[in-house]
Amino acid sequence: MSKKSRHFFRMTPLAVALLAAHGPVLAQSTEGSLSIGAGNWSNDRPQTGVYDGMRDSGGYGLLDLDVVRRDEATGTWLGLKGRYLGLDIREIKADWLRQGNIGASLDYNRIVRETPFVFNTGLVGIGTTTQLVPTPSITPGTGADVELKTTRERLTGKFYKNLMAGLDFNASYRHETKKGNRNWGRGGAPEFVAEPIDSTIEIGEAALTFSRGALQLTGGFYGTWYKTDNTLVTTSLTNGASPFYLSLPLDNQSWEGYLNGGYNFTPTTRGTFKASYSRATQNEHLPTADIPGLASPLAPENLNGRLDTTVLEAALNSRPMRELSIAATLRYRDFDDKTPVQQYVIAGAGAPVYNTPFSYTNHVGKLDATYRLPMAYSALAGVEYNGQNRSVPTVGTLWVPFRAEVDETTYRLGLSKSMSDTVNGSVRWEYASRDGDSYTLPNNPANPLQDNINPLNISDRTRNKWRALVDWSPTDKLSLQFGFSDAKDDYNGPNSYGLQKGKAQNYTVDGSYRLTSTWQFNAWYSYDLNKANEATQNSGAGTPTKFNELKETDNSYGAGVKGLLFDKLKVGLNVEQFKTKNKYEQNIVGATLPATQVPTPDVNNRLTRIKLNADYPVQKTAEVRLSVIHEKWKTDDWTWMMFPASGPTPWAYGTANDGTTVTSDSNYNSTFVGVRYVYKF
Amino acid sequence: MKTDARTPAARGGCETCHGNGAAHVKAGGGRGVGGIINPASRTLEAARKNEICLTCHQGDPNRLQWKSSTHAIRDTTCTSCHKLHSAHDDVRDKLTQPEVCFVCHKEQRVQVNKPVRHPILEGKVGCSDCHNVHGNNPKQMVRGSVVETCYQCHLEKRGPFVHNHQPVTEDCTICHQPHGTTIFSLLKSRPPFLCQDCHASSGHPTQFAGPVTGRTTSPGSLGTTGRGCLNCHTNIHGSNSTQDSQTTGRFRR
Repeated sequence: MSKKSRHFFRMTPLAVALLAAHGPVLAQSTEGSLSIGAGNWSNDRPQTGVYDGMRDSGGYGLLDLDVVRRDEATGTWLGLKGRYLGLDIREIKADWLRQGNIGASLDYNRIVRETPFVFNTGLVGIGTTTQLVPTPSITPGTGADVELKTTRERLTGKFYKNLMAGLDFNASYRHETKKGNRNWGRGGAPEFVAEPIDSTIEIGEAALTFSRGALQLTGGFYGTWYKTDNTLVTTSLTNGASPFYLSLPLDNQSWEGYLNGGYNFTPTTRGTFKASYSRATQNEHLPTADIPGLASPLAPENLNGRLDTTVLEAALNSRPMRELSIAATLRYRDFDDKTPVQQYVIAGAGAPVYNTPFSYTNHVGKLDATYRLPMAYSALAGVEYNGQNRSVPTVGTLWVPFRAEVDETTYRLGLSKSMSDTVNGSVRWEYASRDGDSYTLPNNPANPLQDNINPLNISDRTRNKWRALVDWSPTDKLSLQFGFSDAKDDYNGPNSYGLQKGKAQNYTVDGSYRLTSTWQFNAWYSYDLNKANEATQNSGAGTPTKFNELKETDNSYGAGVKGLLFDKLKVGLNVEQFKTKNKYEQNIVGATLPATQVPTPDVNNRLTRIKLNADYPVQKTAEVRLSVIHEKWKTDDWTWMMFPASGPTPWAYGTANDGTTVTSDSNYNSTFVGVRYVYKF
Repeated sequence: MKTDARTPAARGGCETCHGNGAAHVKAGGGRGVGGIINPASRTLEAARKNEICLTCHQGDPNRLQWKSSTHAIRDTTCTSCHKLHSAHDDVRDKLTQPEVCFVCHKEQRVQVNKPVRHPILEGKVGCSDCHNVHGNNPKQMVRGSVVETCYQCHLEKRGPFVHNHQPVTEDCTICHQPHGTTIFSLLKSRPPFLCQDCHASSGHPTQFAGPVTGRTTSPGSLGTTGRGCLNCHTNIHGSNSTQDSQTTGRFRR
């Protein structure tokens, strides 16, 4: 069954209204299709049904709608497109456009995420801002089963108007509500609570675009608004003890003004620029300031947070001679966190704590040149410099070594072959070197180990990367594609710990074969490897270094056939399998494993999906479509398990309190059978 | 649409893109004869193909910087991805768009099928929601940076917070692989390994990784099980709490 056909219909009032409004019109003067049907999943699909609105077994209806009405005389388009209309993830878009003059669209879209887990818990107050963790702990497995879910409901409107020759106005506005609960934690102890995420995102943009002759300009305004329904979650044990106050993100907003443009100096030389300035603010009342003893007497009640971002960019592209093309770009980005630094936290357990603004300034310069060689070969060479200056937090709020400057230079070489009916492809090599100035260290006398790591994102690093992709069509019927990429990272620096090496490889082969004018086969295979080598200190200072090798290997393949049977019956069969294997190797020289833990087991995941469709025309403008999908999911992921001597069992939060367990169906089969009637206008 | 003076239909029909038909016929016809052009032909130079489309589409705000884009520099053509003369262009439909991108971007074909992912297979998030492949922003993002792109849907992560976690303010992809992973929350690596790539500290931050053997509240044992380090450091993207220094500066509340 194709992806497009995985839509289901339930005869909702909306569907009825659509049919009533558009049915007669569709038949007369429009193009498109309407499909109605029903299907059934044989089993729950907690892993594979996270996003598709069909997590649970049972029947689903389907409705898909794609209608375009076109009026040649007035140049008017009217479109209505609905997808997944019978499901919780339904979406529908209406479009009206008088081409070259005026247009508008309205789009409604729901994105639902249902976690693959079942939380068996005694937590009281999920979905509210007061949550109580049971004390004493419930007996694991005896609580209530809770399935966490989040829903985004998005409404987007767009408007377009041509104001005069070459001058267009575009505006858009998006309003999105998020509702539901996410897996969270109490913070003060490993105890389960659920984060209520109810909030609203609004994004608006208005722009004028001018384009005439060699000059193009666009300038506009972009604004965002985040509004949360909740600012603080108060948690405690059911006996009222241990109140912990969990902060939530507060309302923030931003505006941006921008002007971008391009000018063709000659038919072969073009210059472009970008300029933008934005300001984001967060100035909401800090809710913990209202709780006695939870804020420094010196602390303001608002953060007065302000982030200013300036971007300036200029680019030049030229083809000074037929064989040579050059692209050069200079970019400046300044992200300035102008939030005032003040003491917010009482000097209680530990030193006073200040807020931690971070600012960055980037300077990027890029030059790429392509030289065209005989026989449609091209050679590419490029260099890119990315220099970053950062603000360094004051010592005392620094937990890891930090650098004010981080610079990376990348060199690229490539060779490509194009313009052939049989063999086209490219091979590229990239070398990048990153370093920076000396580290500012936490210098914590009580914890000197903090000074001894090269953090992942600012560590010195060299990267060697190869990538090749070749398309080969030895005959009209057969086409093959071979892909290869290999990247190796070497991390180093003055400190002992952190990432040491990284490796990523990908090998792929794709093929398709056209047996006859009606039958075609395709197949692909992909091998992926990702590896990281780390050095960490094991269990604090004074013990030996631990070396970790983390390796993920993926083997994936797909194969399909589609064709025509009995001159009428269109059939398609696809098989896909995705396998991942994660290995975690830890070596400590001269130390033994902590008794409370077991060596990290491998994790294997396997997803197999088989799809079959058959389309049979029952009328000139209608067909019946049969869809069958079989899914198999299997995992031995132990993330939510514990391993006592008696054997693996679901891990339970807390000891004296809580008792929440998290489980998921680790091995299931589910089969879908669906039939739909598809009417084409 | 002839009513739109900008369209090929109003500006010369087929010849707007394909060249002079009369000259083609006069020269005897045949592939490429008489200056006739097929913009989808494999044997036509990439820059020449793209010039045909840019004649009209260069003024689009998302295509102003096309010539500085990675795709243009690497001789990707408009017809490499777009279907012409078709009512349904796969790359312009979020549901079918990834299949077009996977023709070249093979790693992502596997990543979007991993256990933890964005709703890409369902067409709820398309490649073009995050990437402007016609532009020259860093990593071909639709906004000026990775973080600003992610804020389109995850605006709560922008803060600013009282306590900001530095990598969060710099680049979400330091910790997350947005195309799909095997670790919860699209993390690139499993805690505590991921956290130990930046944090060395005496005590529990340098703990041995491994599932626990029984129920415990010991921070020194729980860096791997469940949410790992995030069992306690639960507000890892930033905190607005003003509670004592043992909790807020470390993103526990």
